Amino acid sequence: MTFEVMRPKYVGARVQRKEDPRLLSGSGRYAADVQPTRALHVAILRSDYAHALIRSINLDLARAMPGVIDVIDGEALASELKPLYATSRMPGYKPTALWPLARDRVRYVGEPVVAVVATDRYLAEDARAAIQIEYAALPAVTDANLSLTAQSDFLHPEHGSNLLVSRNFSRGNIEQAISEAFRVVSGQYRFTRTTPVAIEPRAYTAEWDRRLARLTLHSATQAPGIIRDALAEVLELNGPSIRVLAADVGGGFGGKVSLYPEEVIVCFLAQKLTRSVKYVSDRQEDLISTTQAFDQTVKAEMALDSSGRILGIRASILGDAGAYSIYPWTAALEPMQIAGFLPGPYQVPSYEADVQVVATNKTPSGPYRGVGRPGACFILERLIDKAAKEFGIDPLEFRRKNLVQPDQFPYKTGSGIVWDKSGFIECLDLAAEVIDYTTLKDNRDAAKAAGRWFGIGIASYAELTGLGSRMSAAPGMPINTGTESASVEIDATGSVIATFGTASIGQGLETTLAQIVADEIGVRPEDVTIVHGDSAAITHSTGSYASRSTVLAGGAAHKAGKEVREKLLKAAGFLMDCELLELEIEDGVVRQPATNKVLSFKDIGRAVYSEMGRFPLALRQELDLRATSFYDPEFGTTTSATHIATVDIDPETFEVRVLRYVAAEDCGRVINPQIVEGQVQGGVAQGIGVALMEEVIHDPQGQIFTASLVDYLVPSAAEVPSIEAVHLEAFAAGTIGGYRGMGEGGTIGAPAAVANAIADALSHLNIDITELPATPERLFRLVTTANQEKA
Amino acid sequence: MLNRRTITLNVNGEAHELEVEPRHLLADALREGLGLTGTHIGCEHGVCGACTILLDGESIRSCLLLAVQAEGHEITTVEGLGDSNHLNFLQQKFREHHALQCGFCTPGMLMTATELLNQRTSLTERDIRDALSGNLCRCTGYDHIIAAISEAIAETSGAGP
Amino acid sequence: MKPPPFEYFRASNPEEAVAALGAHGGNAKLIAGGQSLMPMLNFRLLEPELLIDISKIASLKRIEKGSSGRWVIGAGVRHRDILVSEVLGNSYPILRAAMTHVAHVAIRNRGTIGGSLAHGDPAAEWPMLALLLDAEIEVLGRSGQRMIEAKDFFLGALHTSLSEDEIILAIHLPPAPVAWGFFETARRAGDFALAGAGVLLETQNGKISEARIALLGLGETPIRVYDAEAKLEGENLNSTNRAAAMEAAKAACQPMTDLHASAEFRVHLAGIMTGRSLDAAWGQAIC
Repeated sequence: MTFEVMRPKYVGARVQRKEDPRLLSGSGRYAADVQPTRALHVAILRSDYAHALIRSINLDLARAMPGVIDVIDGEALASELKPLYATSRMPGYKPTALWPLARDRVRYVGEPVVAVVATDRYLAEDARAAIQIEYAALPAVTDANLSLTAQSDFLHPEHGSNLLVSRNFSRGNIEQAISEAFRVVSGQYRFTRTTPVAIEPRAYTAEWDRRLARLTLHSATQAPGIIRDALAEVLELNGPSIRVLAADVGGGFGGKVSLYPEEVIVCFLAQKLTRSVKYVSDRQEDLISTTQAFDQTVKAEMALDSSGRILGIRASILGDAGAYSIYPWTAALEPMQIAGFLPGPYQVPSYEADVQVVATNKTPSGPYRGVGRPGACFILERLIDKAAKEFGIDPLEFRRKNLVQPDQFPYKTGSGIVWDKSGFIECLDLAAEVIDYTTLKDNRDAAKAAGRWFGIGIASYAELTGLGSRMSAAPGMPINTGTESASVEIDATGSVIATFGTASIGQGLETTLAQIVADEIGVRPEDVTIVHGDSAAITHSTGSYASRSTVLAGGAAHKAGKEVREKLLKAAGFLMDCELLELEIEDGVVRQPATNKVLSFKDIGRAVYSEMGRFPLALRQELDLRATSFYDPEFGTTTSATHIATVDIDPETFEVRVLRYVAAEDCGRVINPQIVEGQVQGGVAQGIGVALMEEVIHDPQGQIFTASLVDYLVPSAAEVPSIEAVHLEAFAAGTIGGYRGMGEGGTIGAPAAVANAIADALSHLNIDITELPATPERLFRLVTTANQEKA
Repeated sequence: MLNRRTITLNVNGEAHELEVEPRHLLADALREGLGLTGTHIGCEHGVCGACTILLDGESIRSCLLLAVQAEGHEITTVEGLGDSNHLNFLQQKFREHHALQCGFCTPGMLMTATELLNQRTSLTERDIRDALSGNLCRCTGYDHIIAAISEAIAETSGAGP
Repeated sequence: MKPPPFEYFRASNPEEAVAALGAHGGNAKLIAGGQSLMPMLNFRLLEPELLIDISKIASLKRIEKGSSGRWVIGAGVRHRDILVSEVLGNSYPILRAAMTHVAHVAIRNRGTIGGSLAHGDPAAEWPMLALLLDAEIEVLGRSGQRMIEAKDFFLGALHTSLSEDEIILAIHLPPAPVAWGFFETARRAGDFALAGAGVLLETQNGKISEARIALLGLGETPIRVYDAEAKLEGENLNSTNRAAAMEAAKAACQPMTDLHASAEFRVHLAGIMTGRSLDAAWGQAIC
């Protein structure tokens, strides 16, 4: 079976999005928009200690406040449900018990301690203020190094240390590579903590159906299926008793893909009170309790031979997981991904990485767009630039020389990842061509000669997308999400409906999946109804994360769509009394060109379902107009890119302006160029935030300073440049449809490209950028120190 | 403690009576009281811009205005622009340029842009970026939003972009 | 994040507002645009018994020419009104430039001068402008009306010389030099400045006859750099006195370290902003 649509009409076209009319008119339905009758509202009292024992909780005053229906603490919950553990097959990994409300001990500022239920949110917050808790403070640990060497006051005393993960990757002989190297470049890099900041704060509305005694959780989640399965487990419910629905979700970026305490709490309370219960996190809560990202320190060295070829890389990675190992991704996710992707798209014969992950008294960390790869790319690309400088080779040429060459695919990296054929060098060349690299270098030299601090930064990377069943989205994670299904049907009215296990958090999946189904069947995308984001719509629902949805669901859509088309033709052939090969389908009409006879889908639907007498018995037994297909790409596929950025730094205020940004990406076959462009631009904007301004800051006692959008800075339109996204399809991807995932790439390349551009702008001072974000304060200090050393 | 009072809000050309506490934010009154959930709440401290509405034609944060303060003013929310079957000119521009992804910041963007458009003056890309700097978007990287608004302004101000 | 409960009273004139303030002895707050107050209420940093809404008092919205060439701007005039006011733009062009740095459009559409002055944030534009322009602030309390000079008005961060029962009626601006410079540097467009400086210069026969320099975001209150002002008078702006003024600004400021910048960096920026504003003002003065 081949899955190339012969003449794709919609795949590849700039089809306007199906979701836009509702979202543009304020008719979307986000979880906070759901207003069930007599819904109750929850306010959560959170720990304001980073580490403390809970001595006592007095809820009496709160219970007596106006409008209060119920107030529960961790002990009340513990007697009714069991904790969840994010397990992993990874040797030596230590999971942590995940209770929805803290019991005995709090481990980060922002940890939920008490839930107040009242008739409105204002009253719930009034009652929250009346709760009295006595804590006994414990020493807090917020520094990963100190956590590693701590001898007492462990976060999870049952483990006897704060170390949650310890792993080593090794390939080739790194000792030899380093000892025989012509040059070794090295550095210690710090990738500070960030947080996703979807503009929609997390929100959960548990709607209680009195008639059926069932729950529907309207959740701002990327993974309704994973959440449904976890809630069924925790609350001991069977599948039909709980449905998780994610109709419209206001951005996720990884921050809405883990199970959250509040999801359990509202469901538990709705069941207990037999009322609908709603919790909407406010921005402050979102900034302190949504899973955070990065927070790693990496020591890395790169060995090179006399011609400037990489011989090997050695790294030690210390990851700060925060207080808990989150469900289902575990604390290992980010740091292990750094180790996995640190060799990048280059030929690296020898590799060794040591990974340690510790618990600290900070918000749990979890996936964030790019997962580990933004950090890996930043470290690797800084080393590449440093090496290029040592050898006096142009950074673009240096990359060209060391990238995996077209004849080397499939290429197995030092960490064991296999790159299938992707346009590593082609992206490099395309980016250079679009930005006119040669002229740009002349301009840079002229600008620098005139005293401007102007720099060019390049970053190349590769990522694995559309992971199949042979690759886990997180190391050793027991949940395997390597398959996705599509159920496509034509109903009795002739309408095409396609149902998926994915969810949409803004990527326009309703449109791209409709484009695929439309081409396969022969209708217009606007005539295809896409159902997803609903655990009850399909046997196994999953969600959208890890740049998987288009590859997996798109592949399944091709298969199911093709099958339905064949069934449709069979029915039409019989009704029109002709050979199937004589028939064409276009825009929902089956036509026999020779006779100009036509049958609409509506006609065929009516015949198949309501006028079955028109078909012979044998055909009646088997004829339906639906198909369910699964797709498993097994390993996944490689997406590659090169980004080039230019920056200008004000030598007096140390403000960095990104002037130009070009991203050239091989994301396989493009379904909708406009959507792909938007994904890249959005990802790059987030990466620019990481490079220049975004940082979660704690004091040594674990108090979090960045609890408002005044202090946690995300880029606005004024700080983001115009981003030129260009695509190429160097080699056909091995996936059905030829798609490669591309939702995360922009965020992977941008921190490195901007960091390299800043270092280039400061090259006259020989400043290494080892820590992001490169804030004016940090640059001021670096430049002041460099000037002092010069003097 | 529950000092509720009945107020009248003029929203999208219609007068609505509703009962509020003085402390109720206009954003909550619109969403919970009138069911106008198109106005989104993103930060409640005036930074993100998701809750931007028009008050007498001027953009304001509905999270920083009490419902009781809005009495006597004309309020326009995203629901007052075109509905999903009849998108208005600006909404169409947003759609054509793929100026939204998750759509959560979009109502606020549209209201800010509506005010800009109503000023009927030509603006540079820089002007538009500055004017939008109080509306955070996390999905698009802003380019497509700027393109949509630039084109809308160019076509209505009678001047080139 | 919802405000705590409070009573609400809509005042129809300043006297009513003063009476209500007096009756609640410190437990009442005035609200006009609410752009500083509402976030504090939403975070429950304040829990007033009563909110007195003065946003509908017409007399607070005047912009008019007073006696001896002064302009009187009502406390209820919004940042937006200043941006579009031609008369003020002609007399005090620095105002318009500074207003573009006040947060964002939607905030400027609500926020008022009186609110900004009463809030007394040293990183905000209005307190610095008031000091730079030698403004007088007209207030009304139970004991009557009084004028407070800007230099006596700002006592500390978010701390002014307003009594609990006083309301700002207007800001009075005497004639001021027209040539101006205004620079601030912030992490993002519209954010509170890490540091900023405003300069006004008057020249006679090509020499500086009057110089004013004020700083924002660089201490507990806005700061006038009187030392530097005096030294510039009677001279051209040159690299020596420019450098001296920058050093004087750095010496005059007492910034705090916070998340966004260290005190040391802010001191450096104080000099830079002063130098740039001097250049801009001088460029205007001599052209």
